[in-house]
Amino acid sequence: MNPISIEGLTKVYRDKKRRRVTALQGLDLQIEAGEVFGFLGPNGAGKSTTIKTLVGQIQSTAGCAKLFGIAAGDPRARRRIGYLPENPSFYDFLTAKEYLSLVGRCFGMDRSAIERESERVLELVDLHPAAKRKIQGYSKGMVQRLGLAQTLLHDPDLFILDEPMSGLDPLGRALVKQVMIDLRRRGKTIFFSTHVTADVEAVCDRVAVLVGGKLQTVNRVSELLEKGIEGYVIQLPSATAGLWSDFEARPQSDDVCEVFVPRGKFNSFMAIAGREGVEVQLIEPRRRSIEQFFLEIVRRETE
Amino acid sequence: MPLPAVLLSAKRMSAHQFVALTLANLRMIIRDRVLHGVLGVAGVMLVLVPAFSSFSMRQSQEVAISLSLSAISLVLMVLTLLLGTSSIWRDIERRYTASIMTLPVSRVIYLLGKFAAMALFLLICAVILTAAGSLVVLLAATQYPSDLPISWGTIALAVLADLVKYLLLGGIAILLSTVSTSFFLPFFGTLAIYLAGSASQEVFEYVSGQFGQEIPALSLAAIKGTYYLLPNFAAFNFKVHAVYALQVQPGSVVFACIYAATYTGLLLILAAWSFNRRAL
Ligand SMILES: Nc1ncnc2c1ncn2[C@@H]1O[C@H](COP(=O)(O)OP(=O)(O)O)[C@@H](O)[C@H]1O
Ligand SMILES: [Mg+2]
Repeated sequence: MNPISIEGLTKVYRDKKRRRVTALQGLDLQIEAGEVFGFLGPNGAGKSTTIKTLVGQIQSTAGCAKLFGIAAGDPRARRRIGYLPENPSFYDFLTAKEYLSLVGRCFGMDRSAIERESERVLELVDLHPAAKRKIQGYSKGMVQRLGLAQTLLHDPDLFILDEPMSGLDPLGRALVKQVMIDLRRRGKTIFFSTHVTADVEAVCDRVAVLVGGKLQTVNRVSELLEKGIEGYVIQLPSATAGLWSDFEARPQSDDVCEVFVPRGKFNSFMAIAGREGVEVQLIEPRRRSIEQFFLEIVRRETE
Repeated sequence: MPLPAVLLSAKRMSAHQFVALTLANLRMIIRDRVLHGVLGVAGVMLVLVPAFSSFSMRQSQEVAISLSLSAISLVLMVLTLLLGTSSIWRDIERRYTASIMTLPVSRVIYLLGKFAAMALFLLICAVILTAAGSLVVLLAATQYPSDLPISWGTIALAVLADLVKYLLLGGIAILLSTVSTSFFLPFFGTLAIYLAGSASQEVFEYVSGQFGQEIPALSLAAIKGTYYLLPNFAAFNFKVHAVYALQVQPGSVVFACIYAATYTGLLLILAAWSFNRRAL
């Protein structure tokens, strides 16, 4: 049974003037156990709408979503998940310790487990010094860290994170990435939304691109990175410059020149280099980045 | 680590959640500065009671009981209005619901936790205010002894009946706050229903008598229909009994309790139904 299964999910909002806003159109998505899945899309694409439906904050207009086979919206469906809302807001009259204790009780944990696990997660997100202060006084980044801690408390199997890196400083971002990598190593499933392609490249197994409420593509990140190789930048001794008239070449320094070899011509380049006994100093693949891939989809879709 | 969540039965888990949420909400209430202010004013009002009641000399004790009960009632009403009318919509606005309701907590449990916290806080306040009020009454009674005995039991009953009445009112406030997005509807709606529900008994008796024959049958039916629909707050008034140490009919107490429980229960069911539909 897949941790997340979404079929034909559609959401139509009514705005203040009761006009229809279609935020999501016939979304189909299956998230498999143990994968880190990036949900990539520009602002207003419908990412949060999807996630809110999954965790029961809103009801879909059509289609269905299930968590571990239980219909989204049923409180039981949330027993095995840790959810971090976008720009979270917690009972801020409580301290972090008190809040985590409330969360633990709601997941049915006993007192000793709550005590032990809240120490662990507070330590993990570097919030230990502030644990006995009221959340009211926390900075945005600290609230976000507490939000992450709160998803980890009961050691769930599935994490649903809505823009987990937003509002964090570089240290915080690195922390979130590290936590995600550790969770993946432990076989946990992560479904997170983002509009930052670098985050996807850093941690995801698969990525879906959502634009204007419609799913555009679902890809393996490794395949995108592989398929994205356009050619190679190769550094060679300047003395051999005369051999590369078929390629784009430019001098790099007095004795090094750089040649760009398109992916399809790599073998013929190597043949020349082998024949002439050229000493290759450096080969670097040049990739079309996930960012470019993303921008192309968004541009095509919005035109 | 095994998942305790999966091992716990649904019922026990709901019970845990209910207790945890009630306590958390009680903390929210107790840490609210506005309420500290209200309780401060309540203290001042009770302290002033002996001074006022001493003006009436011979009836000092009766006036002290009457004033204390009125002060307690007023304070409980203000607290109910403040707590009830700022409940669900404000939790949604502050996005507390996005973090709490996405735990494996059902909306019914959340709503019941809110109501229970309010009830618990009102009960605590009622107990403290009654204790303070009793001291005040005792003081007034010793200044100018009265012919009547002080019936402490009836005084307690009067406060308790008031409390039950305000729990019903709180149910109305919570129901209205599940459909609202601001302070406006719950506050003025609850206040209007309170005023109407306090007067409805008199209006009903009035139109049932001589005067009723002069108004059109349709209007009469509308008035009577409204009477049965509105909560009848007059049923909870035992103040006169407390002031003059009169015997209270057990039947009227039982009726008030069953009436309040049924009405409040229905309100909470409606509130849960409405809250279930709401986007967070
Ligand atoms: N409560 C709402 N009422 C009306 N429109 C909404 C509401 N919430 C979101 N929308 C609209 O739905 C679309 C998708 O929003 P959202 O899911 O928040 O996007 P994302 O999280 O990808 O940035 C946007 O156009 C947004 O304006
Ligand atoms: Mg969003």
